[in-house]
Amino acid sequence: MSAVKTPHLDLTAPQVVRKISQRSLVIGVVFAVIAVVLAFTRPEEFYRAYLLGFMCWLGVALGSMAILMIRHLTGGGWGTVIRRILGAAMRTLPLLALLFIPVILGIRRLYIWAQPLGNIEDKHLRQHLEQITQTYLTVNGFVIRAVLYFAIWNLLSFLLSKWSKETDRPNAPDNSGRFKAVSGPGLILYAFTISFAAIDWIMSLDPSWISTIFGLIILIGEVLSAMCFAVVVERILFNYKPMSEMLKPDFVHDHGKWILTFIMMWAYFSFSQWLIIWAGNLPAEITFYIRRLNGGWGSIGLILALFQFVVPFAMLLSRPFKRDIRRLVWLAVWLLLMRYLDLFWIIEPNFSRTFVLTLADVVVPIAIGGIWLWYFFRNLASLPLLPAYDPDAHEVLQAGT
Amino acid sequence: MKRDPIYGMMAEFDSPTALVEAARRTHRAGYRKIDAYSPFPIEGLAEEIGFHRDEVPLVVLIGGIVGGLGAYLMQYWMAAVDYPLNIGGKPYHSWPAFIVITFEMTILFAGISAVFGMLALNGLPMPYHPVFNVPRFALASKDRFFLIVFSSDPKYDPAGTRGFLQSLQPRSISEVPS
Repeated sequence: MSAVKTPHLDLTAPQVVRKISQRSLVIGVVFAVIAVVLAFTRPEEFYRAYLLGFMCWLGVALGSMAILMIRHLTGGGWGTVIRRILGAAMRTLPLLALLFIPVILGIRRLYIWAQPLGNIEDKHLRQHLEQITQTYLTVNGFVIRAVLYFAIWNLLSFLLSKWSKETDRPNAPDNSGRFKAVSGPGLILYAFTISFAAIDWIMSLDPSWISTIFGLIILIGEVLSAMCFAVVVERILFNYKPMSEMLKPDFVHDHGKWILTFIMMWAYFSFSQWLIIWAGNLPAEITFYIRRLNGGWGSIGLILALFQFVVPFAMLLSRPFKRDIRRLVWLAVWLLLMRYLDLFWIIEPNFSRTFVLTLADVVVPIAIGGIWLWYFFRNLASLPLLPAYDPDAHEVLQAGT
Repeated sequence: MKRDPIYGMMAEFDSPTALVEAARRTHRAGYRKIDAYSPFPIEGLAEEIGFHRDEVPLVVLIGGIVGGLGAYLMQYWMAAVDYPLNIGGKPYHSWPAFIVITFEMTILFAGISAVFGMLALNGLPMPYHPVFNVPRFALASKDRFFLIVFSSDPKYDPAGTRGFLQSLQPRSISEVPS
């Protein structure tokens, strides 16, 4: 398009965004105080809950970056209308890098391979750990790799946001070529880095267990979290201009289809892992499910299968349901809770054979979430809700008017 | 059953917008048994002729459920009833092993139902269709747009309907013999 249309709409984020940002900070700080108390009184429980909370919110940020990169590759109004929401979530990655520090501080409490191996009674496990702590699972390696993951994610986030900001001004350059050039390799890099991160941070909690599809299960959970989060935020913004003008049923329909796709892929990956391990029935692998299906953990697994897949799947088959943001948002909220429960079910049974839900498991994720949301809504308020001079902006500004 | 010698009244238009406008006015005038033909899909045309939903999704859903249930029961019958075989010490009725086939058969039956359900509901293949009795109708595959009011419509009467269609300013009007 040669002539860029001057937007007829004020694209600034509504005032309510700053208000939510402040309230989130209050909640975050209050819960953080309780969390700090727990860190000193019940450090074991605190660090487990911290890893859980950290993975929950990291998932939203990284998943948002992945969906944003998919949008840059495929185009489409569904992505243009939420790109600033996804972008604001992606730009929390520097904060998340800082929030990773407590995981490093708690490394000896969280990871058995970081503890002195002499204390381990199980001879096979000790021999296995003596081998792998010589090569891959070392404290230094863990820290260096984490620095590398965050460097890659922040670099991608930095480039994508920088070029996006340029298109807020008139006579902006057409950056779609650059976006594509970074997003293709970026998605591949994301798949690899999140797989390694999932191995380092979660799978290594049980260093004798391996599953090659585990990284993909974490990855698909992250993009699912991110799409649900974007739907919740767009619902809040839909009460105000400019989102009330921009968000069309066609776009909401596409968001619903994405959620349907992601829960199907989650079920597909999770079932693949289960089928292979169940069929093989090898001692080194089956322990993962023996722990997670006994001692009260089994009902959590059943809840996940039913309410992170079966029921939402049936609901999302309905076309009117997917097109109605007022109804879809409740499923998105529900699935975000399921994401928490899923990570809880993956992480916590490593530490306890019987079901426990500690105070820290609730408090710490809310503390991290409050602080994360403060930063997210601040990011969201700092830029217009649509880059008005991007070549794709007209899709959203004109559609259905 | 004796067939009506007249199938309907057909009007020809030059542009998609003219067709959509004509369809809207015809529907508003109370005609319900109408149809429109164009060389390419036109946004909003289906709504204007009062065509809201079709039954293909329902056929696909039923096909999928039948395929999935059938596949599961077939495997259960084979593995646990007809020819029980001890595999790795697992129970005869081991549901995880059945899921892959169940999933594939659900997709297969849903896909086949989609194709044949669509054909059954739209009546294809159709070797004879009265609209082709109008020689100009061949242009519907090129650059003309047609609207037809069927003679089965309760409001249909040859003179009145012709007069109404004339008011839409079409390029031509033809009576379609069946």
